[in-house]
Amino acid sequence: MRPSELWRTTPFRLTMMYGAVFAVAVLALMGSIYQQTAGYLTRQIDGIVVSEVRSLTLGGAEHLPERVTQAVAADTRRIEYYGLFSAEGVWIGGNVHSLPPALPIDGVPRAIRTPNLQPGSRGLAERMPWGEILFVGHDALVLTELRTIIVRALAFSGGLALVLGAAAAAVLSLRPLRRIDRLREASRAALQGEVGVRLPVSRRRDEIDMLAGVANAMMDESERLLWEVKSVGENVAHDLRTPLNRLRALLYRVSQETKLAGPEREMVDRALAETDELLTRFRALQRIGEIERRDRIAFFEPMRLQSVLEHVVELHEPSAEDRGVDLATDIAQDAPEVRADPTLLFEAVSNLVDNALKFTPRGGQVRVRLTVRPEGPRIEVADNGPGVPEAERDAVLHRFYRVERTRTEPGSGLGLSIVTAIARLHHFTLALEDAKPGLRVALNCWPRGVEA
Amino acid sequence: MAKILAIEDDATTGKEIVAELAQSGFETEWVADGREGLDRALSGDFAAVILDRLLPGVDGLAIVTALRAEGIDIPVLMISALSDVDERIRGLRAGGDDYMTKPFASEELAARLEVLLRRRSAAPRSTLTVGDLELDLFSRAAHRAGAEIRLMPTEFKLLEFMMRNSGQVLTRTMIFEAIWGYHFDPGTNLIDVHLGRMRRKIDRPGLAPMIHTIRGAGYEIRAPE
Repeated sequence: MRPSELWRTTPFRLTMMYGAVFAVAVLALMGSIYQQTAGYLTRQIDGIVVSEVRSLTLGGAEHLPERVTQAVAADTRRIEYYGLFSAEGVWIGGNVHSLPPALPIDGVPRAIRTPNLQPGSRGLAERMPWGEILFVGHDALVLTELRTIIVRALAFSGGLALVLGAAAAAVLSLRPLRRIDRLREASRAALQGEVGVRLPVSRRRDEIDMLAGVANAMMDESERLLWEVKSVGENVAHDLRTPLNRLRALLYRVSQETKLAGPEREMVDRALAETDELLTRFRALQRIGEIERRDRIAFFEPMRLQSVLEHVVELHEPSAEDRGVDLATDIAQDAPEVRADPTLLFEAVSNLVDNALKFTPRGGQVRVRLTVRPEGPRIEVADNGPGVPEAERDAVLHRFYRVERTRTEPGSGLGLSIVTAIARLHHFTLALEDAKPGLRVALNCWPRGVEA
Repeated sequence: MAKILAIEDDATTGKEIVAELAQSGFETEWVADGREGLDRALSGDFAAVILDRLLPGVDGLAIVTALRAEGIDIPVLMISALSDVDERIRGLRAGGDDYMTKPFASEELAARLEVLLRRRSAAPRSTLTVGDLELDLFSRAAHRAGAEIRLMPTEFKLLEFMMRNSGQVLTRTMIFEAIWGYHFDPGTNLIDVHLGRMRRKIDRPGLAPMIHTIRGAGYEIRAPE
């Protein structure tokens, strides 16, 4: 699982989307609270300002300057503004020394925008019946404070929502991701041809389980079809072998009991040889089925590959000599033991050597090697014949496939298929490589997947 | 001539066995039922038993086991449609002497039966002789017409197997199974090459040939007439 996969999961994206919607909602809520509170506070301040004007003017023109001075002195918090001006606008008293310019003198509280007063402050100017102008203002500190509180709350809760949301999204995504990983693991095994693999289905019956269930049903079906195809092939091979054997018995009797001579004799012998060739192919087909069907773990035992290779070479040595091909060995004596079926491995290597000998021209060489890789021992059979073009290498592992120029050679064309089946049974891998020149077939004797 | 008992539930195969063995000079009694077959086998009238592995009623394996439990040591050749190695091993372990999978070439059946009968009747010997060919089983030395023939270990095993069954057709499969001990198809050519090599050692120029290729069947070693 890569970190980049995390933010691509559905739970992660859903959680983040919910988080964003939640943040917008919080913003709207806070904004509305601020709006309402600020409105209310403004009205309160306006009330304060109006009543202040009333109380200052109660004593009439005579006492006004004195009251203004007293009020300034009494305002220890320094949140009130007072200014008394003559009818011409000349300062008489108070802590405001000039009238705010754009403020109409009409006794209605307004927002004051003067550089020396706090922005957002409220105030009013009123002309007294005797001509003087009184200005009273109230600081907007409360409003500013309120705004600061709201913004701070927003920043804090928003940040927290963001962090918590991301964390929750990650946690929520991890579990499905782990399940997806398990699904991927199982699918990979199935892709590599492991039979009987199914995707894990949990008891939750959620959407992933639904998909896994569908995939499992598909795998059931394809496996069933595979078996059907295989068993058809095998049954055909088996059913045809019986009449073929009878045909062969007849031909054999003809060749034994009649006094044929010359071309007739030759024709019967050829017919017999052709029948044998057919039987060989059917036997090979059945053999593949047998190996594939088998659950032969019980026959696996720790074994030395060295002796298998030596025996195979001994079996094929005369044949190599007849063909004028040098059969060389290079066997690592320190190769570790493997758990395998010795008779099947003998069959596999024998097939590989047989193939290599067939495709090597006179004077060529076939090399049987046993090497040690970090993952385990590796059997290599290489020839310096024409080789197999890279494009055809996959195809030669298929049943009956034969490289065009080798069609004249006798044989079932199933040798490599048998080797493939044996390798698969052991969970070994078979690799076809360029031996430059020639073909090298390698049997990696370690469980598939180790190198991945 | 020895009498053979064939226990086989499939009528076609049963009749074929009887016909083929008659050609090879055997008198064969065919029994389709497993229980009856076991009774007949216990009678001691037969030289060998051909036994189907899968029978209705009594299983072929059970019949071999019962025979061996009774101390009856006649050769048993098991035949079966199950060609799996596991089945072969099970059959041989139960006391069978040889195992063939159906369908089989009928002359292969006769050939195998001959080998089984020969094996039982063979007295322990230190030297095998066919015509002027001699094989010392202890020193592993072979002589023909007084001249020594050098043999590789595999060649010794091959020659011993052939000489023990001289005058008898040996199929390539039988040779491969007996000498190399494996039960897969090694390709006809492979065995032919080994036999060719053996022939060059035994039938030197100027000597009468002893190793004969039997068309469509296999090989045979016999003394020159």
